[in-house]
Amino acid sequence: MGNENTVLTTADARHLLRRAGFGAPAAQVNAWGTIVTRGAAADQLLNFPKRVFKPRGRQIEDRHNSWLKHMITTRAPLQEKLVLFWHDHFATSNDKVDDPVLMGNQNALLRKFCAGNFKDFVKAINKDAAMIEFLDTVRNSQDQPNENYARELQELFTLGVADYNGTRNYEQADIVQIARAFTGWSYNNRDVAVFEGGDHDYSADHPERGSKVIYKTSGGFGANGADLTQSPYNAAGEGPAEIDGVVEIIFNHKDSDGKRTVARYIAGKLFTFLAQPYPKRPAQMTQAQRDALKPIIDQLIHDSNFDTTWDLHALVRAMLVSDAFYVTDVAADPQSGFSATDLKSVKWPVDYVVSTMRVLNLRLRGRFAFVNGGDFRLISDQLNDMGQVLFEPPTVFGWNWETAWINSATLLARFQFAVDVIAARGGGSTSFHPTRLVNINLTDPTAIVNAVTDALGVTDQLTATDQATLVNYLTDGGTQATIDLTNLDVRNRKLNGLFGLVLQSPTYQVH
Amino acid sequence: MPITRRQFITRTGLATAGAFLGPSLFRNPLLRQAIADQLDTLDRYVVLIFLDGGNDGLNTVVPLADNGPSQLRYWYEQARSAPSGVNPGGLRLAVPSLQPTQIGNDPHTGTPLALHPGLAGLWNLWKTYNALAVIQGCGDPNSLEFLSHEFSRTVWQTGNPYSLPAYTGGWMGRYLGANYLPNNIPAVCLRDSIAGEFATAATSVLAMTSVADFGFPYDQWDLDMDMPFKHDAFSTLYTSAKGQAQPTFAFLGANGTATLTASDSYPPVSDLYSNDVSRAVFDAQYQGLIDNNGNGFAADLREVAKIIYGVSTGVPNIKARAFELSNGGYDTHSDQGTNNPNDAQLGLHQQVGDALNVFYQDCLDMGVANKLCVVIWSEFSRRILQNASGTDHGSQGPVFVIGGAVKGGPSAANGGVYGNHPNINSDPNVTNADGGNGALNGDGNTVYSQDPSDPFRSTDIRDVYGTILKHWLNISDPGALLPLDGGAAAQYWTAPNFDLPFLV
Repeated sequence: MGNENTVLTTADARHLLRRAGFGAPAAQVNAWGTIVTRGAAADQLLNFPKRVFKPRGRQIEDRHNSWLKHMITTRAPLQEKLVLFWHDHFATSNDKVDDPVLMGNQNALLRKFCAGNFKDFVKAINKDAAMIEFLDTVRNSQDQPNENYARELQELFTLGVADYNGTRNYEQADIVQIARAFTGWSYNNRDVAVFEGGDHDYSADHPERGSKVIYKTSGGFGANGADLTQSPYNAAGEGPAEIDGVVEIIFNHKDSDGKRTVARYIAGKLFTFLAQPYPKRPAQMTQAQRDALKPIIDQLIHDSNFDTTWDLHALVRAMLVSDAFYVTDVAADPQSGFSATDLKSVKWPVDYVVSTMRVLNLRLRGRFAFVNGGDFRLISDQLNDMGQVLFEPPTVFGWNWETAWINSATLLARFQFAVDVIAARGGGSTSFHPTRLVNINLTDPTAIVNAVTDALGVTDQLTATDQATLVNYLTDGGTQATIDLTNLDVRNRKLNGLFGLVLQSPTYQVH
Repeated sequence: MPITRRQFITRTGLATAGAFLGPSLFRNPLLRQAIADQLDTLDRYVVLIFLDGGNDGLNTVVPLADNGPSQLRYWYEQARSAPSGVNPGGLRLAVPSLQPTQIGNDPHTGTPLALHPGLAGLWNLWKTYNALAVIQGCGDPNSLEFLSHEFSRTVWQTGNPYSLPAYTGGWMGRYLGANYLPNNIPAVCLRDSIAGEFATAATSVLAMTSVADFGFPYDQWDLDMDMPFKHDAFSTLYTSAKGQAQPTFAFLGANGTATLTASDSYPPVSDLYSNDVSRAVFDAQYQGLIDNNGNGFAADLREVAKIIYGVSTGVPNIKARAFELSNGGYDTHSDQGTNNPNDAQLGLHQQVGDALNVFYQDCLDMGVANKLCVVIWSEFSRRILQNASGTDHGSQGPVFVIGGAVKGGPSAANGGVYGNHPNINSDPNVTNADGGNGALNGDGNTVYSQDPSDPFRSTDIRDVYGTILKHWLNISDPGALLPLDGGAAAQYWTAPNFDLPFLV
């Protein structure tokens, strides 16, 4: 049983850096392993810069590259990991928004709140111009109420369709009334949200639509539900304060176990993202999986008081010091929903690219951002082929995680990126320098293989069989007893080749 | 309130899709494998050809003479002047130039129709093999709002004009994803990225510009010497993963080994085809088009023929049966031309028509023409009223379907012509409710209609797709893959017809 005072083992340190960052460079692992406590490490990871980065650029591709480059150089990788999570969670696509400025602003908002107060976060997202555009709030007026945002706010952003017992969290009637609260909102040409009373659905104008009361059959508010136009949820009454009233009510919603629904939903999703690869939403889990996850989530919420403070920083910290986070092996146990050992999670394409660039100290080249050895293949095209384009999640459900990232074509895209990386020859930080990563005076094949896998931070993840396979490659099928890395030709072929193989290996696709 | 336009940015490639809310039976991998095997047993092919830029359908399927009150030829000539000294950019195709490529009649008005003279190659397929059908007036209710290349292209590729979130990826992608597994490779795009109509996260679509050159991305340094060792190492790593109990590794292993196998298996097919004496005549014909006419489209089509050859002769691990390729340059705002040598649209039509003529006969000789369904589409058509020498973005255009089993050619009803020629009446003395002249709307476009009583009723592209899914790919419920519209029945797609007679 560990807690924040438990000293990290070396394996713990690697796991923490991979999941709560972009890869585990040896220096960092050595600085932490057997030295630093879980709590101290979590605090370092959660120490984010004061200045909130905003991706810049005229076109959306420029902002994409700006954000990607920031991920590669940031000293706070956990912050960017969380921003990625929230970008997937509050999925907004520039395909529809078609405005790089709004997308950049939203990205900065995600970064500002990524470990902040979740209730304030939701209130801010309600008024984010890109979101107002994306989920049709801008088209939601009293004559033609548009339910898109009211639905997704509940289904995807805060509550989920059903709770951990499979009980529905809200009904269509709730969507209808919440949609009315959002009528009249749009944004001005300074991209600030504005409320137009004339477009707002006031009860006096539409008595046939009933009263703005929600959750009469769920949420624990009783048969009278909660009125979003009145205290205690909304002291200011009808008008622009209604959307804040909606948020207050949602955050008070209790599930069929009497727990705060939002707390369980968000904690579960963050835990799935950082720790154990459950399906992304409770609706996609089996009941056995939900039953296994519930006590873990409740413990984290208890440890962090998330269900009262809504402090994401505390929640994430509680996660990063918990035993549940450091479990990497589960016995084949139907209760857990995992059928075999090793809780492997498939790296997101952005993670695959960014962690590779970071561990190899590589930079992307130029405004259009390409890997220097890649026939000028744009990194945005490569990520597109891997299935993930920043600022363009495929739907409001975000991306599909885990094995959904993997098929022949996306794998080929990853493999092509790996080849481009090791082919990045020349000078400067945009080129691959294996001689800086590996001691070229080594001659023993096993030592060389270990040096390469150490440089990539994956030695612990390879099996003995995999290592033997790599040695076999290095020695041309066992025909070379020693390897001369001082020979440029041998280096370009075999040393680069080893790096490429590891980057393409099944092990490197997961963490 | 700011006015916004939905501008879909081109992102060909895999859309790792949100939850595909199809029937849950498709989640079962064993069932999907069973269906995939069944489809392979079905032994059919689909080739999608995209004419990139908005092909002017009104000069592609052209009225030859008036028949009845619609006066299609009359209004064609009113809108398009004959090329002359005064107006050399006139786009009218004269009747004598069209007679050699006369096809069937417009079903409702009985107007005799002809193909653009450049499509002599397609006309041969129509005449000699009864293999060409023309579906007129194809469109959707939404892209007319914007007439944007990217928007319309996306609509046609996704079959989802209103971007309903449950229908992710491409229309063929949804079909492929529901019926094949991630480590199957049922489709190939002849381009350097995955075409939008095939976008799916649930199975693998490969993109290649050349079968011979498609390969595993190896580092080029000392490729010949080191490649076998890299190949072996990669193969061992992934085979080992495939055998593991841990499901993520097993999944990675299955996909990695399938990928490697594909990159091993496809390139040799190129030589197999080229070295097979029975293909020599056709190989030379493709080459003739490439060498003498600079016909790059013919080169791409030959690559498709090679893969079909591989599949049909049972080359191991070659299983792709759906293909996509395109020809570009159809955005003829100017210098569109008629049928003079070097005219733009003529040249493009010749490339596609001549190449398909060879391809079809190649397939016929291979014994697969009856198993083939080729679909030629463009993201929109163009306006009947021309500008100085060209045309601007328009609306409903023709889709061509080619194959041995297609109800086409002179032996079919109306000579293989389906749907309705759009109403191109541009009478300046008539101002209609849409603010346009004659039958055109305020933008000068023909109007999308699903009114059953409208003699010029459009064909929704989803009906075309659905008919192919149902009657060619044996999908019992194409409606699960194609989003229905809400709204008035006359203006939206609310009543699917997956039994269009071009295949039934």
